[in-house]
Amino acid sequence: MKFSPSLFDVRNVNFTRGENEILKSVNLTILVGEYCAIIGPNGGGKTTLIRLLMGLEKPTSGTIKLFGTEQSKFREWHRIGYVPQRSALVDAAFPATVREVVAMGRYARRGIFGFESLEDIGAIEESMEQMGVAHLRDRLIGHLSGGQRQRVMIARALASHPQVLIVDEPNTGVDVESQHRFYELLRVLNKTRHIAILFITHDIGVIAEDISKLFFVNQTLLLSQTPQEMLRCDSMSRLYGTPAHVVSHNH
Amino acid sequence: MLEMLSYPFMQRAFIAGLMIALLAAMSGSFIVLRRYSLLSETLAHVSLVGVSVGILFGLSPLWMAVIASLIASWLIEYLRSVHGMYSDSVLAIFLSGSLALAIVIVSLSGSFNASLFSYLFGSILSVSNDDLIIMGVFGSLSMALLVLFFKELYFIAFDEEVARTSGIRVALLNFMLVSIIAIIIALSIRVVGTLLIGALMVIPPVAAIRFGMGFFSTTLLSIAIALACVVAGLSLSFFFSLPSGAAIVLCLLVAFIFALVVNRR
Repeated sequence: MKFSPSLFDVRNVNFTRGENEILKSVNLTILVGEYCAIIGPNGGGKTTLIRLLMGLEKPTSGTIKLFGTEQSKFREWHRIGYVPQRSALVDAAFPATVREVVAMGRYARRGIFGFESLEDIGAIEESMEQMGVAHLRDRLIGHLSGGQRQRVMIARALASHPQVLIVDEPNTGVDVESQHRFYELLRVLNKTRHIAILFITHDIGVIAEDISKLFFVNQTLLLSQTPQEMLRCDSMSRLYGTPAHVVSHNH
Repeated sequence: MLEMLSYPFMQRAFIAGLMIALLAAMSGSFIVLRRYSLLSETLAHVSLVGVSVGILFGLSPLWMAVIASLIASWLIEYLRSVHGMYSDSVLAIFLSGSLALAIVIVSLSGSFNASLFSYLFGSILSVSNDDLIIMGVFGSLSMALLVLFFKELYFIAFDEEVARTSGIRVALLNFMLVSIIAIIIALSIRVVGTLLIGALMVIPPVAAIRFGMGFFSTTLLSIAIALACVVAGLSLSFFFSLPSGAAIVLCLLVAFIFALVVNRR
């Protein structure tokens, strides 16, 4: 396993879809153990940036390195845990138990002929315990609440023992209390397991002062500032283009 | 009851039927969960083009069906994944287009003969030893691939995007799955018939899903339903001189209604 202090290294990335320029001259670096958030208005390119990092979209120009390796040559995808937008919206009838969903996080490590090893079983159990979903193991994922499904999806991502966890707008369709618990959980994962976190949010209030980096994405603009500076009302108003009031949550 | 198994044609029909049931139910689970159920129906119609070509030119209808079905499955997947066309639209085009082509080819051959009728609705009398050998070879290969990539195909059915970001070769496995389905459908036309194979792929998983279990258990139940219905259908076909495909599908419908009633929500 190659060591690199830089988990993601994005250099001069541009992305256009048809005639539309979605992202322009994006530069971004995320280091080991950092706790980062991406904010920005709808349609600003936040999800596109994540999809570029995960190789789901190809940049029009520029380079992306993952763990020091060119993205096209990168094969150790198990080092990155990814929870996409709306992933917790599962068809109620889909035949998948919580245990089966979390086990998917180990598939890439097992290979074609690989049966579930003791290591796999241990990682699956550990992830379910950590996310507090072990007691739901035999329940169908579609029968759980939005908050519970969300924790199952994170457990799946954690089962591969990633070094970075990317979560795209995790709180779609989840109640406020679950949202608060969720952000607390991300913080605990970052502090105790030293997993770098990168999450997209609309809720500026959840961004705590212990965030290492705060990225603002608005189509062609990408800023990286200290959270304290970014969260000033006048800064937010300038970035969103409308008067903004920052409300802090109690965690 | 066991008397029917003393006839060689029934032995062949049972071997072929059980093999097809196993393969259809297993692969059917993936296409049902991906809302791609119409694929089986479409490829069944495409295989009819192969059968028609075979009858017209005196070639093996089974081989022609395999070739036509495979080519169509690749084209469908290519248009869906590379050109981003809607799955149901692509399937609708291939379904009606292939049926039209088959009708034109049959018209050119001069008659709508009994042989074609057996391919449409299945016939227990039509399974030959050569058919069994072809089914054995391709069926074993398809089963081996389904078992080897079972977990990856399940992951893709559940969440294609995350499967891709986990390093699973989604595009390749999607092509593999449609190819396997194309082969299974082409192989099954002797027993179930082109117009009815879709039901053998779709009804067992749909009925099994009603029981609200995990994927592994659902797949096992789906296979059990398919096997039981093929045995019952072939037996009805033998005793009441019914087309085997129709008898099997009616048994599947009974199983589906049972699952629906037992699991009322």
